[in-house]
Amino acid sequence: MLRRGGPSSTMHRRRADAVRLWRTPWSRFGLGLLVLAWILVPQVVTDDFWLTVLNYAGISAIAALGLNLLTGYTGQISLGHAFFLGIGAYAAAEVTRSSDLPILLWLPLATLLAGLVGAAIGPFALRLRGHYLVIVTLGLVFIGEHLFRNLKDVTGGNSGTSVAATPSVGSLDFADLDLLGQAYSRQQGWFWLIWALVALTALLAKNIVRTRPGRAIQAIRDRDLAAEVVGIEVGRHKIWVFAISSAFAGAAGALYGSYQEFVSPDEWTLFLSIQYIAIIIVGGIGTIFGTILGALFIGALPSIIEEYSHSIPGVQTGPGDDGFISVFALNQAIFGVLIVAFLLLEPRGLAAIWLRIKTYFRTWPFRY
Amino acid sequence: MSEFVELAFAGLALGARYALVALGFVVIFRATGVINFAQGGLLVVGAYLTYAFLEGPGLPFALAVVAAMACAAALGAGVERVALRPLVGRPVYAAIMVTVGLLFVLEQTVTTIWGPDNKTLGDPWGLDTVEAGGVVMAVKDLWTLGLAAAALAAFFAFLRWSTLGVAMRATAADPEAALAQGISAGRITAISWAIAAALATVAGVTFAAGSDALVPSLGTVALVAFPAMILGGMDSPGGAVVGGLVIGLVQSLTAGYQQDVLPWAGENVSTVMPFVVMILILLVRPYGLFGTREVRRI
Amino acid sequence: MGHRTRWGAIAASAVLALGLTACGGADNDDEGGGGDGASAGAPAKAPGFDGTTIKLATLSAQSGPVAVIGNPLVAGNKTWFDRLNAEGGVAGKYKVELVNEDNRYEADTTVQRYNRVKNDVTAVLQVLGTAPTLALLPQLRRDKIVAGPASLDGFWVKEPNLLPIGAPYEFEAANGLAHYIEAEGKDKTFCTFTQDDVYGEAALRGVDAEAKQAGIQVATRQKFKLADKDVTGQVQRLRRAGCDAVSLAATPTDAATIWGTAARLKFAPRWIAQAPAWTGAFAKSPLAPYLQQTTWVVAEGTQWGDESVPGMKQMIADQKQYAPKQQPDIYFQYGYNQGRAFTALLEKAVEKGDLSRDGLLAALNELGEVDYQGLIAPYTYGADGDRTPSRSNAIFSIDPKAPGGLKLEAKDVTSPAAQEIEFQAAP
Repeated sequence: MLRRGGPSSTMHRRRADAVRLWRTPWSRFGLGLLVLAWILVPQVVTDDFWLTVLNYAGISAIAALGLNLLTGYTGQISLGHAFFLGIGAYAAAEVTRSSDLPILLWLPLATLLAGLVGAAIGPFALRLRGHYLVIVTLGLVFIGEHLFRNLKDVTGGNSGTSVAATPSVGSLDFADLDLLGQAYSRQQGWFWLIWALVALTALLAKNIVRTRPGRAIQAIRDRDLAAEVVGIEVGRHKIWVFAISSAFAGAAGALYGSYQEFVSPDEWTLFLSIQYIAIIIVGGIGTIFGTILGALFIGALPSIIEEYSHSIPGVQTGPGDDGFISVFALNQAIFGVLIVAFLLLEPRGLAAIWLRIKTYFRTWPFRY
Repeated sequence: MSEFVELAFAGLALGARYALVALGFVVIFRATGVINFAQGGLLVVGAYLTYAFLEGPGLPFALAVVAAMACAAALGAGVERVALRPLVGRPVYAAIMVTVGLLFVLEQTVTTIWGPDNKTLGDPWGLDTVEAGGVVMAVKDLWTLGLAAAALAAFFAFLRWSTLGVAMRATAADPEAALAQGISAGRITAISWAIAAALATVAGVTFAAGSDALVPSLGTVALVAFPAMILGGMDSPGGAVVGGLVIGLVQSLTAGYQQDVLPWAGENVSTVMPFVVMILILLVRPYGLFGTREVRRI
Repeated sequence: MGHRTRWGAIAASAVLALGLTACGGADNDDEGGGGDGASAGAPAKAPGFDGTTIKLATLSAQSGPVAVIGNPLVAGNKTWFDRLNAEGGVAGKYKVELVNEDNRYEADTTVQRYNRVKNDVTAVLQVLGTAPTLALLPQLRRDKIVAGPASLDGFWVKEPNLLPIGAPYEFEAANGLAHYIEAEGKDKTFCTFTQDDVYGEAALRGVDAEAKQAGIQVATRQKFKLADKDVTGQVQRLRRAGCDAVSLAATPTDAATIWGTAARLKFAPRWIAQAPAWTGAFAKSPLAPYLQQTTWVVAEGTQWGDESVPGMKQMIADQKQYAPKQQPDIYFQYGYNQGRAFTALLEKAVEKGDLSRDGLLAALNELGEVDYQGLIAPYTYGADGDRTPSRSNAIFSIDPKAPGGLKLEAKDVTSPAAQEIEFQAAP
């Protein structure tokens, strides 16, 4: 069955094979398909509504990739992710308030700032283990909201602030794309930008976890004591992961602000943090590809349910309609049920389901 | 002076409610090692069940509360059996996130059954007050303190003297040894959930009583009980009570005096004070005031 | 080794794909312009207008906690247009169809839903929520779409893309205080208790303007946070300051906690509450006797069912016919008034023979005064956001027997301070 010496997806003969990104011709083919999808989707799905859904999902994917490094790969649960999105969004708003910076500047600046704040908070938060960390990071969301409401010069206080950061580099403006004489809409341009950044972030995350420090954090997740024994500096590793995870969140926050052009303190709530946790649970804890699947799933599900709510019996689709449950209640309940169901039935998430489908076809007609 | 006493009294009454919620957290944590985010959901369900028993069959208030506690307890045990029992032996975060998921399900169930609009619980306390030495105290708050004290006393007596209580303590101390003695861990866990749900019902009733509105989002108050639980130490029932009272007092006194003492700290610092106090205490004592220090052996 | 060629191949296929499907580019965004130059004749087809039917979107909370407000708003919208359609429609011939979207009171959902409907509608009849409206504004400006905010923030007054109605929160606060001063004199202690958000800040601006105008001091300003369960500290400070009148900006859940705490602490000032603090449920709660003695609610127009006002008479008749289950509700009334405002706008646009987006914006600039038949005071819509909002409010006292629990205390209360208030543009 195996071609002698050639790479295989099921069996690794060398260490280098196991950590290679695109091991087989098939995986390279898959990559090509993804690139093709990236190019084609905004041209096939020209409906602005579905493009906005996909764009918000892409932004969540970037934030969730960061959280997965911390939670999925290092085993530290944080409910404070929303706070760092806020930092990123306000940073982007602040640096572009008086000067027209290109995205190549405001995005890294916002990312860096959120990362620094994470690095500053990390040593205190990560002193605590397990449950204590969960609750302390929950406190971070509330304290952050208090700051966002009161630091009026930067955040605009309760009324929020407009975000002038534009997705442009020189004459190339993704919000107003004009390529080869063809004009593209704002949503199309943003789709290409956001999902290119998702790919970039995913690649970065993948590269982090397959390097030496990446293996170290996974050792910490699996057994921190054992990791310490084999010479991994647990504290230092936890802090840099926390900083990087915050930086990813900051980047997502900056994009969120720039895309929406306005942010207010009402948005960086505990619910947002929980949503990211849900994304990595549904997608698959500790997988990169799964995180992106999860972001798409959680991001698009409410819209899909609403789209088809007319054909679900008992659902109330508008005021005064019959039906015992409103679409919102149904969506929230399904959101909760999904978290529960995935943890109970498929703890490795969508990624595992995907893998199973893949294995089925690869080993076809044999089953195991 | 009487203002201070008034404020402290209101703070203690608030703290007693937090203590009831926090005690629910602790009970479940001791039995299973899981932080129960669904406690807020149980609180809302309990309050609405009380409302339903008052409105529907028109039970007397005390009876309605007891009936609601019984129903909530059954629900709590049922939820544990269906959603959490299968997770035994799996990473703790899985169970925690399941409780987060349950929070959403419970809140939306309440909204679907009783609607999103404000309800009035229909308790007998209303706006009544008593005055002692120039200090006005709400009857509702007195009852809250009384009920909380009674619930806590009953719980501690149960833990201290009943066979089940001893079994619960044994399981908390050493699950394997307890199992070897023939104590069913599953039964203990289910009972813990039932107790937590009953405590949450009392808390929910005291939060929604008087003139306060009964709304499906009431469960968010449980988030403020997390600091109370952490402050006391997660596995200490006594710590939960102390933590609850401290958080309630801090919140109330901050609301009363912040404008004189810390005017620069922004508006409504009182609502974030529980978290600030929690973080400060954890910096000094990473396992809370009365929590068991985790021993790490190599 | 072979890596470069492989990446090159991917890049090449990418460029190819771009070229092949370039026709899939945006063309649906530019439909807003021009009305084919048809002047004063029948308006040409435009987005959301197929020659006979005009489509309007609502982005309102139809589920979740804020549905309590969103549902009656939409019901008010619908009742107005049901009646109008029964009479023939806009200008007697164009029927209006509503496209209801649930924005869940969230900024990002609002943006998504807006993008779903924007190419199918002529205008957005209703956007519920201050933050959602602010988040939508940049897109509205870009798409040249007119929208009706379902909130009374002063921000909206100067915004050329918005068609606000009613007296802004600032006026509510100023007029309420003015009415108190007129009744009780200046020799009193005035205080505020406001929600720590945009709505509370607007109320504070109104109180400040009135205080300046009347030459009085505000003794203390207290704030509370949404869903705070203990406001003893703040109420004590109000009591200590000896407040005779407290301007209150809150929503019902928090108002219940605040009034309950005040009643228990035997603190009984004159509460001058902004309209959103009230809900009919209070009339049946244990608070009712306390509120009857202490509270005014500052709202608009007249008492529900006051048939001496022509607008109210018609609204009650329409409600009985098209929304028979509707309870007395200020939000229903607001939605109904929005219907009237947009009908005026659409008729202006039809008169000019242009129902395109540009046509609607132009019509909004020339709209002039819209009279709401006594349901709310007239609002003047001038060119480029130069507008004069409704200036007067009505003061209600609490009466459990009155419809919705509100009994008219004073009508057409207009403080001169309302003219002094400078509205800021949206952030």
